[in-house]
Amino acid sequence: MEFKYIAILVGFVLLAFLLYKEIRRANKARLIWRIFANIIAVCCFIFLIVPIKFETHVPQNTDEIILLTEGTNLDSIASLKGKKYTLSSLELKNTKTIHIPDLSYFLKSNPNIRKLNVYGYGLNTTELEQLKGYQVTFHPSANPRGIIAVNWPAKSKTTELLQVQGTYQNSGNESVKLLLKGLGKTVDSIVIEAKLSKAFSFKTTPKQTGKAVYELISLQKTDTLAKEPVPVQVGDQAPMKVLILASFPDFEYKFLKNWLYENQYPLAFRSQISKNKYAFDFLNTDSINLNQINTSSLKKFDILIIDEEEFAAISPSERSSIDLAVNNGMGLLIRVANVKASTTLSGKFTRFEAPVLKGKPLSLKEDYFKFSPLPVEQALFLKSNQSDQPLIVDVSGKIVVNSSINGYGKVLVSTLSSTYNWLLSGQKIDYATYWAKLLANAARKRNDIQAVNIIPQFPVISQKMRIIADLAESNQIPILKIDSILLSPRQNMELPFQWDAFYWPQKSGWANLALNQTIGPVYIYKKTDWETLKNQQKLNGTHQFIKNLNTNEAKNKLTDTVIEEEISIWWFFTGFLIAATFLWFEARILAV
Amino acid sequence: MLRAEGQNWISNLRKKWISFYLISTLAIALAIALVLSAIAVYLLHFSPWLFALVFPIVLAILLFSKPIWKTTDHDVSRFVNNQYPELEESADLLLKNELELSILQQLQRNKIENILTSLPQPKEPAKKLYLGLVILLVGLLISIGISQISLHKNEPLNFHEKASQIPAVKENIPAEISDFSATIIPPAYTQKSERKQKQFTITAETGAKVNWKIETNIGIKKLKIIFNDNEVVSLKALSASHTQWDYSKTVNKSGFYQLDLDGKKSDLYQIEIIPDLPITIKITQPKQHTTIDIGQPQKINLNVSLTDDYGINDAFISATMASGKGEGVSFTEKKLSFNTNFNNKKSIALTKLIDLKSLGMKPGDELYFFIKAMDNHGQSSRSDVYFVSIVDTAELMSLAGMTNGVNLVPEYFRSERQIIIDTEKLLKEQSSIPAQAFKNRSNDLGIDQKLLRLRYGQFLGEENETEIGGDHDDHDEHAEHKSGIEKFGDVTTIMDKYAHKHDIAEDATFFEPEMKAQLKAVLTEMWNAELRLRTYKPQEALPYEYKALRLLKDLQQKSRAYVAKTTVKTAALKPEKRLSGELDKITQPVQKMSFEQKEKRTASLKAALALLESRKTGKKFSEQDQYLLSETEKYMIGSAADHPSTYLSALSSLRKLSTTNKLIINDIDLVQQAIQNMINTEQAKPQIQSTSPATTLYQNYFNNLNKAGK
Repeated sequence: MEFKYIAILVGFVLLAFLLYKEIRRANKARLIWRIFANIIAVCCFIFLIVPIKFETHVPQNTDEIILLTEGTNLDSIASLKGKKYTLSSLELKNTKTIHIPDLSYFLKSNPNIRKLNVYGYGLNTTELEQLKGYQVTFHPSANPRGIIAVNWPAKSKTTELLQVQGTYQNSGNESVKLLLKGLGKTVDSIVIEAKLSKAFSFKTTPKQTGKAVYELISLQKTDTLAKEPVPVQVGDQAPMKVLILASFPDFEYKFLKNWLYENQYPLAFRSQISKNKYAFDFLNTDSINLNQINTSSLKKFDILIIDEEEFAAISPSERSSIDLAVNNGMGLLIRVANVKASTTLSGKFTRFEAPVLKGKPLSLKEDYFKFSPLPVEQALFLKSNQSDQPLIVDVSGKIVVNSSINGYGKVLVSTLSSTYNWLLSGQKIDYATYWAKLLANAARKRNDIQAVNIIPQFPVISQKMRIIADLAESNQIPILKIDSILLSPRQNMELPFQWDAFYWPQKSGWANLALNQTIGPVYIYKKTDWETLKNQQKLNGTHQFIKNLNTNEAKNKLTDTVIEEEISIWWFFTGFLIAATFLWFEARILAV
Repeated sequence: MLRAEGQNWISNLRKKWISFYLISTLAIALAIALVLSAIAVYLLHFSPWLFALVFPIVLAILLFSKPIWKTTDHDVSRFVNNQYPELEESADLLLKNELELSILQQLQRNKIENILTSLPQPKEPAKKLYLGLVILLVGLLISIGISQISLHKNEPLNFHEKASQIPAVKENIPAEISDFSATIIPPAYTQKSERKQKQFTITAETGAKVNWKIETNIGIKKLKIIFNDNEVVSLKALSASHTQWDYSKTVNKSGFYQLDLDGKKSDLYQIEIIPDLPITIKITQPKQHTTIDIGQPQKINLNVSLTDDYGINDAFISATMASGKGEGVSFTEKKLSFNTNFNNKKSIALTKLIDLKSLGMKPGDELYFFIKAMDNHGQSSRSDVYFVSIVDTAELMSLAGMTNGVNLVPEYFRSERQIIIDTEKLLKEQSSIPAQAFKNRSNDLGIDQKLLRLRYGQFLGEENETEIGGDHDDHDEHAEHKSGIEKFGDVTTIMDKYAHKHDIAEDATFFEPEMKAQLKAVLTEMWNAELRLRTYKPQEALPYEYKALRLLKDLQQKSRAYVAKTTVKTAALKPEKRLSGELDKITQPVQKMSFEQKEKRTASLKAALALLESRKTGKKFSEQDQYLLSETEKYMIGSAADHPSTYLSALSSLRKLSTTNKLIINDIDLVQQAIQNMINTEQAKPQIQSTSPATTLYQNYFNNLNKAGK
């Protein structure tokens, strides 16, 4: 039995006893008043012990607030009644609003708030996290105008193409010109028509070595709408080591050899001149014994270029050591000239012969580049399997260079045998692009000692950023410094080689991030940079949040509207005191 | 007294005569000198001081050609005698001593002395004077006209140039300079007049003389001009107060310069050169390869047009004739002129008829020629080489080609040759045989030609004789098929009935299309020959016959390959050494090289780009950076000297950047642009791709996958 029922029972017993005593009392004056006072006193006493609770429907306007976020159209909210709240990050003029310094604190301190009407672009993910369990209605503003998605490689190597891709959302009524400007020069531009969302892709080769900040500028006629920074870092790196094994010297090898030599690539060239007799060239590198190819000698090279005849002619042990080296990451480029494959590795790629188009030069292309035509009659082409990645195709789509993964490494097969014609006709760019594509694709990938990731995509001044460092070795605490401020990293529980740290940047621009001994630059953005992109992300995030919320909205509605309330015990105490006082006063003064 | 009076009259006349004549000569000399120097100064751009030289020379020539001062009183008296019959040929009496005269002479003398005083002064000297003055006036007018013409001629050109070549550059002129001018005197070959500008940026023709006149508002100790940052020239002060300076220089190369006023350096100003382009030669006639067949006139008509930016001085044809064949080829060179006056015209159209016979060319010879032209600056240019060949009929007739190698279809070739021989024979006999017989024979030859044509037509797969000249009119054979007796059960005949079966004439043979085309050409020539023969004009048919034969000969040569026998002596083989397969004495060649990049230019320019980029964010230059900047400046000076218009503003911006602490984004942009231009397009270089750090976890994952795959 619960305590309150015992208390009520005891109370009634007490009341019955008191009433009996009152009735039996000799002095019958003011009997009714005394009975009445007794009843009140006992009832109040009971209620003192057992407080009265009741459920009530909470009036709507008390627990619903209007939250204004960034991008709110001031005209549309002017007609709204009720208190308007804004987050501290937003500054609104000419409107009476209440600033909320911290959303989670505010919600905790106002537990009666059950519903939020969010206006504007919405809230970011951490803020949305806190709104779980609340009823939220979202009144989004119109889509922001500007770049809503963008990506580019933060680090690139000399002569590599910098590609800045993204989407521009033009919600305005006039067309907008978007330009990529860098190093004092407009590199590329695009026009985005009114009321259109358009993807853009700008390409350029950064010419500096080191850091530079490109700019994405959107112009409406002559007005600059936005200027977003695109920080880019270009660095040199050690060139790849190349090994060429030739069954016979030809022009293709000779020109390739000279080209690599002039570009300072370490190159070992072996060409057969008779049975077990070779001519060697060691260019930009020390000479090693290459009479017999073995695993240890192959370890010194990043890529092996070989023709199929030579590949078939070398001993099986050499072949297997090449196979092993490729499995361990070395690149292999096989030049083929026949329809029939003579080795297993090159046999992975099926070939076919197409009739030669007389008098028609061969026009090739890769992803971003169209080569100038080669005056050769190419009959041999490759077929693509599911696991292959074609690199170079001709205009009709027939594959000339194909690639496939083999273990850690890559195997490339090329049917093109006279690229030197480009050099002869002065098309140096074509030749360089072709071989850069092939060699870069095939060569052994270099493992970084460490890698750094930063969250969010655009670290902003005085906002939290997370630095994630991947190390090759997991048993050592890395030393992480930003601009000589030492950070304390914590280890990932599941991935022992991953460490992360938090940092609040102090100033915008380039900052130096030192991980152990290596120093790499990090660009800290201003608060106003990439604003539309962030707003669009907020919009999308809030929309997504509302969508997930709607599934349990009905349940929320019931529990939310009914609330239990307690009548303050002071009322009963007062009643008890008055009744008790009356009884005492009557007995002492009036009855005498 | 009277005597003296007469004598005086004559001597006065003499004095007047001489003085008037001298004045007149002076006027004429002045006029001639004026005209000459006007031509020299305005058209040929000599100094105006030339006048001071020309005038005395002309005067001297005129004076010495007629030494007037040698005129004596006797000459005058003779003139007076001639002029005035009243004097009765006695004027010389006045000059003689009175005492020596006879009485009669004295009487006569007294008589004429009286007459003399009443005589009017002779008009001759005044006429001379007026003539001289008129000539002077004409000379003045001409020289003014010349100056006007030259101004007129240059005005539209100059106006255009000023608009296009001298952009109104906003120049920073040092405050000390109160006034300046740059006078550009284009070299004579341009035929342009000098121009004066109030701008330091100079656009001048190659070899132009530039004269700077600078006035400063305060006295300056030293004023220097620095050309291309390495050539320093001190200017001479014209005035004692050191406020007027003058300097002249002939410019041949683009570049830049700056002024140095007592160590205070001005902005950089560019000098741009307008180069003189060589003459462009365009030959419109004949074609590059011309063959002259028999019967055609052995002449070629040459049509050339020459254009130059300033003027053409000379042009000629350089012709080389090759005669003979095999090893006996001989060459003769000849220079043919156009026989026209070029007059420094800017463009000229030339025609010349080259008579090959007069050059001494025989059938079988070839002529190679090209045209060489010189402009007034002495630049020469030449055209492509053109070829003209005369067909050798004797060569065609020879059987040399027949005797060796395979003879595919000899009778046809011989036939065409036979027709030619017969035609020539017929022509020779024309006078001796009756007209009817001539016509008959000509017709017969025509029939022969037709037969020959039809036989060649078979090579092309032509079905009937009308193929080449006309169209298919009907197919007789199909009609025959219809009326013919059907063989019962013969499938092919039944099928033939319903199918229109005949070959495509063109594809019936196995000749290459090129050969077919030539065969067709042969047939056309034969057709033409036949036409003439049938219309009794064997003379006209002859060229066609020759052409047909030539084409046939070509065809014949195309289908054969001939290798002449040669004697070869080889060393005797040593059988014991051969095929032994021993390679132990063969050493393997090893080559080792390292490429050294001598040029650091690109690397430092690239680094400079990044440095400027960091400057944009407000970072100041360190000492090391300053070194890099000075290095960049050095490279940029080199580029600016070659292309001042592109790099000069960037160079001055770079200097400004390295000296001031103020951050000027525009200047940085300008310099960065220039550096990017200097770096040029870079070729792609293969780069190693990088992956995430290799941890044992990934390695294990890969190995397990590999295992699972197997």
